[in-house]
Amino acid sequence: MTEKFVFESEHDFLHKLEELVKGGVKPKDIEIRAPHPVHDAEEILDMKPSIVRTFALVGGLAGAATGYLFTSLTALDWVLPVGNKPIVGIPPYTVIAFELMVLFGGLSAFLGFLVGSRMPAVRTVISNDEFVDSFEIHVRKG
Amino acid sequence: MTHKTAPVPAAAGHPASEARLQIERDVISAMQKPGLAYWALVGFCAMVFVVCLLGAWAWQIYKGIGVGGQQNPVGWGIYIVNFVFWVGIAHSGTLISAVLFLFRSKFRASFNRAAEAMTVIAVMCAGMYPLIHLGRAWYFFWLLPYPNQRLLWTNFKSPLEWDVFAVSTYLTISVVFFYVGLIPDFAIVKRYTKGFSRHVYSALSLGWVGSKRQWRNYNMLYALLAGFAAPLVLSVHSVVSWDFAMGLVPGWHTTIFAPYFVAGAIFSGCAMVLTLCIPMRKIQKLERVMPIDHFEKLAKTMLFTSMIVGYAYIVEFLLAYYSGNVYEFGIFADRATGHYKYQYWGMVFCNMIVPLPLFIKRLRRSLAYLFITSIFVNIGMWLERFVIIITSLSKEFVPYAWGTYRPQPVEISITIGTFAFFFMMFLLFAKFLPVVAITEKKEEVH
Repeated sequence: MTEKFVFESEHDFLHKLEELVKGGVKPKDIEIRAPHPVHDAEEILDMKPSIVRTFALVGGLAGAATGYLFTSLTALDWVLPVGNKPIVGIPPYTVIAFELMVLFGGLSAFLGFLVGSRMPAVRTVISNDEFVDSFEIHVRKG
Repeated sequence: MTHKTAPVPAAAGHPASEARLQIERDVISAMQKPGLAYWALVGFCAMVFVVCLLGAWAWQIYKGIGVGGQQNPVGWGIYIVNFVFWVGIAHSGTLISAVLFLFRSKFRASFNRAAEAMTVIAVMCAGMYPLIHLGRAWYFFWLLPYPNQRLLWTNFKSPLEWDVFAVSTYLTISVVFFYVGLIPDFAIVKRYTKGFSRHVYSALSLGWVGSKRQWRNYNMLYALLAGFAAPLVLSVHSVVSWDFAMGLVPGWHTTIFAPYFVAGAIFSGCAMVLTLCIPMRKIQKLERVMPIDHFEKLAKTMLFTSMIVGYAYIVEFLLAYYSGNVYEFGIFADRATGHYKYQYWGMVFCNMIVPLPLFIKRLRRSLAYLFITSIFVNIGMWLERFVIIITSLSKEFVPYAWGTYRPQPVEISITIGTFAFFFMMFLLFAKFLPVVAITEKKEEVH
């Protein structure tokens, strides 16, 4: 069973949320809906850091590593000495490594967002469930 | 919007709630079914795009690249000028959305959506030009990093190859950033639409309802994308500048190029945002969500970057003089007094002189004045790229090899066609997507 509270103002919503958490309701039993990000609500609910960070870090590192390895290994695969320049040139390859770091990091962060937010939420897409302009608190009981 | 629109919900009682709903109503009403005049304008742009760009490009492919004015010694004509111009325009979109987000600037919320759309469209325009410039556009895949039939890879030490990575990464990340910002707004638009459109917006919103899990991950993603995009924007235009600066051509081979190009990109981008947003504000009746204060702040950014660009114009001469290199100084003297002196002084006038009156507060708050200034800056920044590219190539080291370049009708036609494509896409954006970030605007309400 779920108890639902609806508020028009952010202030009343936060006040009720704080009251519920102080009153012993576990944050995991509370679901909220908000028309815009409410950073204080995240603090009250003491939420864990988002997994998007991990996805971005892993993606970024993988992108940078790919950039360096891809350019270096292809240069070593067919050695082409030009003007006594190094076969594996770190400064020019850094440009490519940087771009791939951003590309992989950004796409991976987006993937992390989809995974972490359980989106696309097909049921919501096809249902009449809407993103409303009110602050809601849903408390799961029992 | 060509779909049925549900009745706008009646305002709730609380003042904050009323203010939030007012923002929704203002932005959604801008998406109402466009009138005949609007469609006529879109149709005109589409026609110019097809005739001037596709038609002229087809003619160029049929006859060969020689129909353009590019030949020795000027092998890079206005196709490359346009490429750099459009990449520059794109940059301010990312600046406004990403950099101002990181600085927590409030005025970004009025412009960020339009600026991001401008970025995506401008990168598309920029992306066309290397293909058009190739001549045999169907061999574009030679640019991509893959081993050819002799198992030889592309040269990763070449700035032109960096460009492939930089511009394609920039396009991808800009599209992701644009789309992510739109997700909550798609969910709002879903509420206001009926029928087929509702299904489309619902699918695009990916089932967004504003839950704690969604907002937490969304905030983190947005901040990270802004963090990725801010250095990306600096890197992309630096890489574009290195297309020139890595060469030994006089007038190009200088370390000032990367910061100079980045400042110029932000400058031209701010001008284009003004060019697009001032009429859009009027036509779409967005006065409430796009206050004059925010335009004034954008005008200040434009003025500041104008001064950086102006400083770079002066310092370039000093660097050339101080280098003691006869070729280097020769090219700069030639820019100011030679064959292309009108373009050079036009550039100085548009980019250094015209923005200076923006020091006066009254002018910064006059949208008509800002609009006219922005048009001058757009022209000035196009001329800047023309001056940099064409003058340096036309007079390199050996006087015997000097020559001049004049854009031919095919090149001019393709250039006009890209502008038509740009405005056509922007007009479509302004009717099918929310032009102001609704949830961000709501965040300002307390």
